[in-house]
Amino acid sequence: MSFFSVRSGEDNAQRASRRSNVARLVIGVLSIGVMALASSSLHQPASAQTKTVDSLTIALPGYENNLTPFTVSFLALPNTHDLLTLVYDTLFWSQNDKSPEPWLAESAVPSADRKEWTVKLRPGMKWHDGKPLTAEDIKFSFDYYKQFPGASGRYAHHAADTPPFDKAEVLDPLTVRLSFKEPAPTFPSLPGGDLPMIPKHIWEKVTEPAKYTALPVGSGPYKMVEAITDQGYKLEANADYFKGKVLVKKLNLVVVREYSVAFSALRTGDVDHVARNVPAELVETIANSKGLKTTKGTRNESVQLLFNARKPPFDDARVRKAISMAINNKLIVDNVLLGRGRPGNDNFLHPDSPWTLPNQTHEYDLNKSRKLLDDAGFELRGDGRSNAKGLKADFDLLVSSFEPQQQRAAQLISSQLKAVGIKVNVEPIDPATLRQKRAVVPGKIPDYDAYMSILESHAHVDPDGLYYFFHSPGTRGFGAGVTGYSNPKFDAISEKAVAEVDPVKREQQLFDLQRILISEMPLIALYYPEGLYAVSGAYDGWYSDPGHGIFTKRSFVEGENKAPAPTASVTASTQPTTTVAPATTAAPTSTKAPVSKPGARPKTIARKLKPAKAKTK
Amino acid sequence: MLGSIARSFSVMLVAVVINFALPRLAPGSAIDYLLPPENAAALNSEERLMVLRQFGLEKSVPQQFVHYLGRLAHGDLLVSVRYGRPVRSLLAERLPWTLLLVGLALAVALVAGTLLGFGAAWKRGSPRDFASLIIVVLLDSLPVFFVAMMLLFAFSVKLRWFPFFGAMNFADKPTGVSAVIDVARRVVLPASTLVAAQVGSVYLSARSAMVSELREDYVSFAVAKGLPLRTVRSHARRNALLPVVTIGFVSLGTLVGGATVVETVFSYPGIGRLVYDSMLARDYPVIQGVFFVLAITVIAANLIAELLTPWVDRRAMSQDRS
Repeated sequence: MSFFSVRSGEDNAQRASRRSNVARLVIGVLSIGVMALASSSLHQPASAQTKTVDSLTIALPGYENNLTPFTVSFLALPNTHDLLTLVYDTLFWSQNDKSPEPWLAESAVPSADRKEWTVKLRPGMKWHDGKPLTAEDIKFSFDYYKQFPGASGRYAHHAADTPPFDKAEVLDPLTVRLSFKEPAPTFPSLPGGDLPMIPKHIWEKVTEPAKYTALPVGSGPYKMVEAITDQGYKLEANADYFKGKVLVKKLNLVVVREYSVAFSALRTGDVDHVARNVPAELVETIANSKGLKTTKGTRNESVQLLFNARKPPFDDARVRKAISMAINNKLIVDNVLLGRGRPGNDNFLHPDSPWTLPNQTHEYDLNKSRKLLDDAGFELRGDGRSNAKGLKADFDLLVSSFEPQQQRAAQLISSQLKAVGIKVNVEPIDPATLRQKRAVVPGKIPDYDAYMSILESHAHVDPDGLYYFFHSPGTRGFGAGVTGYSNPKFDAISEKAVAEVDPVKREQQLFDLQRILISEMPLIALYYPEGLYAVSGAYDGWYSDPGHGIFTKRSFVEGENKAPAPTASVTASTQPTTTVAPATTAAPTSTKAPVSKPGARPKTIARKLKPAKAKTK
Repeated sequence: MLGSIARSFSVMLVAVVINFALPRLAPGSAIDYLLPPENAAALNSEERLMVLRQFGLEKSVPQQFVHYLGRLAHGDLLVSVRYGRPVRSLLAERLPWTLLLVGLALAVALVAGTLLGFGAAWKRGSPRDFASLIIVVLLDSLPVFFVAMMLLFAFSVKLRWFPFFGAMNFADKPTGVSAVIDVARRVVLPASTLVAAQVGSVYLSARSAMVSELREDYVSFAVAKGLPLRTVRSHARRNALLPVVTIGFVSLGTLVGGATVVETVFSYPGIGRLVYDSMLARDYPVIQGVFFVLAITVIAANLIAELLTPWVDRRAMSQDRS
């Protein structure tokens, strides 16, 4: 009996995890039936479309912990950053724009070498507790992120080394000069559009940021009034919001884990929005539901296969390229996403990223693939491909057991690669084990062959992202834990690109980097999922913010959710040498499309299956 | 009696050791959670230490164990790596909901299963016995999530009798009587799902216990003597209750873990889901803390069952004394 208690507990947890995987499948199938039959008990849309709304209930797929930059988990939601920035503000919005809109900042003027940025704040801004928001807070925020580089992996590295922040100097209560050790030509987008600014008077007393348990105090459109662990958050409109009137007074964000339950609740009117994509199997039902509206959007995500480029045979670019050429990712999009997404391009970056090489595609050619494998020495010997030393080209593909969509994609890849004689063993494992397999022990090469991951827009819109992902393992960048890819030519160009002052030159360098990726394929972009979001008729201010979807701050702030984004460059500076967005760069990508009205629902409703949970960056 | 208490205590000590060791033996680690491979590469050793020190993860495993034991002696269950909150406060938040949900479900399952099982045994071989056997076994074999979804569909979507999610209205927190009603309404569906999952095993053991009890010589003798059936049954009932009591107490521990699926479907804030999420993050302090509480529950339940047995069954007492 002594071991009974312990064993039964462990067994149960494991059984529960297995059950829940089966549960997902069955519930998925069931939910179609449930949703189809649920039609009789639907509420009617609100007849009068008022501008302000008293409250909205929004279903979140998971709980993200205390909503501060240092405690948020980035695990449960597809759009954690958008949730966090309901409470916090950034200097600019958004990082998806080359010339983002000034937010906390009124303007930002760079020095000629782009190493210094003088940020002027809007006057009269306040934190949620009434204290004034000043240049001291901005200085403090950057200092604090730098002081705790590991405390917020997602955010802090932008203060620590992309670009490497040096020091901040308060010039007057509304002006701060930020200095970087290297040129930071894209400062307004990143880190300006990404780093949440935190109040000095709260955080200066916090020495263990990951253990902060008080309610967050931000400056954003919403104040947090209550957070109940694993149940949800209650937000209340910030009446003094500097950016405009907040249109929804209360946001009740409730955690509803099962998506079929969440969408059933949407159809009965118990929730007004489900903060995730409409899954492919529910698209028809949602489209036919009275009172519900759908809108497309994109969060610029990608799903990719990443090689361990330090482990033979994947250290050979020819082998990686050959594998890429044998993958028909159009077929994956059609079968796994049911057409709701775009096939991945060989240059990796999302086609809507401001830095992407234009007019890219994926090269699928079985004959070329076979030839490349032969050239690399991996000829057909016996029942598979191996080189003269007996090393096989077969590999294990690690997939998170919580991503059924990725597992299906992996299975398809496995069957497609048989055509060129490569056997792929798809291995679904739990996320913690996947993390461990990728963990880098100094001086050792991780043992995995290849794995699949999903990346949020941040990875695609960050111009330094290419450096981070693909620069040789070193003191900076993601290193061997991501791909371990190494190419001196790539290193040289990427080192130049992160420090390049001239935006035009920098764009060319980023293009060159993408050309190297196309020929060497340290990872294979498989597909870019597309978003479809469903909302009730209770609120008509929903706005599809490019790269963010609709559950984002712009949807709730008057003026922000209707008018097109200001196309003015970041600074109103008259000196052409210091303007941030030169006229030579491409036109702004942020064309704001209002959410469709109930009557005018787009005909092609959807493009996407299921949103991502785990993020790699 | 003192012997059983001492035994329970030593079992608990073993459980504490295993609770500490098992999560650390599983692949993956809380360190990889705090420092995912992407970020770990860019940090130097001092920066790594700064992160790990917040949770005492920079210490060696034996040091961590000593620290854990020391804190445990003070009733401190350390701080969750995932939530950044003391495990004790997490448990204090979750345990009442789990006890409500699981306790209610277990009580209903025990009473209903026993009544049905005894009833079936008394009419063994009759169409009634046959029908109840089929129904209960069928119910028992249905997957929990299937039952949960069907209940949700019928009572939340179609009939709109019960809310979809949560243990309490989140948007407008009710007070007083309406709070009790709200909580009661929200526990019905998840508890019913658990009852459906649990009632079968109670039914089967109650039925078979009663069937074998009715075969005993004293029953045949009593019947032959012409005692009224009611009296015969009341004698048999007491003896047949023994395995049911054991099952009830043993289920207590398993039900808490087994409620994970129910908690997920109904977004119920219980312990099951907490364990599940903590396992995924390798959140050692939470795993240790939850299993410590579970171990105590099961050990205490077993102890109580052991102490109760002589009261339910006099034969056990006489054996104990011999």
